[in-house]
Amino acid sequence: MYPPKFGYVIPENIHEAMEFLESHDDSRPLAGGHSLIPMLKLRIIRPSYLVELKTLKDLQGIKKGSEYRIGALTTHYEISKSGIPLLSQTASVIADPQVRNMGTIGGSISNADPLSDYPAPLIATNAKVVVISKRGERSVPFDQFQKDMFTTDLSQGELVKEVVVPAMDGYRTDYEKLERKAGDYAIVGVAVAIKEEEGVVKDVRIGLTAVNNKAMRAKSSEEILMNNALSDDLISKAASAAVEYANPSSDIRGSAEYKKKMVKVMTERALKKVRK
Amino acid sequence: MKVVNANEKVSIKLRINGKDYEDVVEPRKLLVHALRDLGFTGVHVGCDSSNCGACTVIMNGKSVKSCTLLAVEANGADILTIEGLEKDGKLHPIQEGFWEKHGLQCGYCTPGMIMEAYFLLKENPHPTEEEIREGISGNLCRCTGYQNIVEAIKYASEKMNSKTD
Repeated sequence: MYPPKFGYVIPENIHEAMEFLESHDDSRPLAGGHSLIPMLKLRIIRPSYLVELKTLKDLQGIKKGSEYRIGALTTHYEISKSGIPLLSQTASVIADPQVRNMGTIGGSISNADPLSDYPAPLIATNAKVVVISKRGERSVPFDQFQKDMFTTDLSQGELVKEVVVPAMDGYRTDYEKLERKAGDYAIVGVAVAIKEEEGVVKDVRIGLTAVNNKAMRAKSSEEILMNNALSDDLISKAASAAVEYANPSSDIRGSAEYKKKMVKVMTERALKKVRK
Repeated sequence: MKVVNANEKVSIKLRINGKDYEDVVEPRKLLVHALRDLGFTGVHVGCDSSNCGACTVIMNGKSVKSCTLLAVEANGADILTIEGLEKDGKLHPIQEGFWEKHGLQCGYCTPGMIMEAYFLLKENPHPTEEEIREGISGNLCRCTGYQNIVEAIKYASEKMNSKTD
C-alpha cells in the first residue's frame, strides 16, 4: 500500500524531462500512473525519481491525416471516444472507467504487460511507435518495439512520443476480449481487421494478445482467408489455425489448454462479427 | 524544472469541493491519504491494488481512484468528494436514490459508488441497466449484490432528467 521514498521532478518541457531521465539511473517517467503506482505500492520497483509528464504538450492530442497520430499521453478514455477503427473499441474495454480516465496509450505500451489489450490491434494494423530522445526521433514498427514481456525497445532517456495507426479505410474491425469479470485483464484478446471486395477477402489481419510473451499475428489464419469468401467452414478452419500461434501459460485465469481453445473461439467470434 | 528529493516535502494546492487547500506532502504520499488527512474521511480505502473504487473522487471532471494518484501529481486539481455533493443540506438526487432504493448497507463503498454514478450520469444521462453495470464495474460492493445500486442510479437518472428536460 505504501510506496517507498522517491524524488519527484516536474520538468518545464520535454527536453528537460529527457535530459533528467537520461542522466539519472533508475528514474522513471510518470504518465497515467496506473501501472507504475500500483507497482510502487507493492514495492516491486524502487526508482530514484519519478519524472512527471502530464503537462508536456509534445506528448498530447490526436492528429488525423492519412493516419492517426496519437500522442503518448492520450488516455484510454479519449481514445475510446475518438472513433479510431479497432483502437477505440479496444480502449473501451481496458480495465474500468476510472482507470480509463487516467491510463495512457504511451504508458500501456511502455509497460508492455503481456496481458494488455492494445498490442492486439497495434500488431494487426502494423502501427508504428515514434520514440523521442535528446538525439531526436525514430520510428519503430510496433512488432520491433515490443521485445518481450515488460521489455521494450526504449533505452534510458527515451520516451514514446506518439503511436501512429493507419486509418484502415474500407476495413471492418473487431476486438474480442475474453475476461472473467468487467475490469480484468484479458484471458485471451483477438483483434481482427478485414477488407473485402465483392465478397472476397482482399486483406486480413489477426492480432493475438495475452497468449504469448508479446502480441502475435496469426499469419497462417490470414493466409487461409486471403482471396476467399468468408464461409462458416473457412472461418472455423482459420480460427483453428490461430491456435498454433498461442503459447499461453497456466495461471489464475485458466489453464494453457483452455486458453488455447479460447483462441479458436474468440478468433471465430471476431471473424463472424466482421463478416458482411 | 522543479526537483524534489526523496527526503524533502513539497507544497501543493488542491481545490476540494469548491474550497482551496494547501498541504505539504512527501512525493510518495497517495492522494487518498492526503484527502483523508485534510478531513475528507468519506473517501475510503478498500484495497491496495486499485480494484475496489472505494476511494473514487471526481478530479477535473473525471472519476479517478485516489489511491492510484500521488498527492503531488494532483497539485492544482479541482476535486469533488462525497462531502461536496449535497447543497445547503439537500441531498443530491444520487444520494437520494441510494436512500430511497436501499442501495447501501454498511456504507463503506457508498461514497465511491456515488461519485462514480455522478461521473456516469454526466457522461450518459440515460444509461441502460447494462450501461449502469458496466459504468460501476470499477466499484466493488460486498453487501448489496448491486441490484439496488442499479435501481438507485436509475432513480437518480430519472430525477435528474425530469429536472433538466
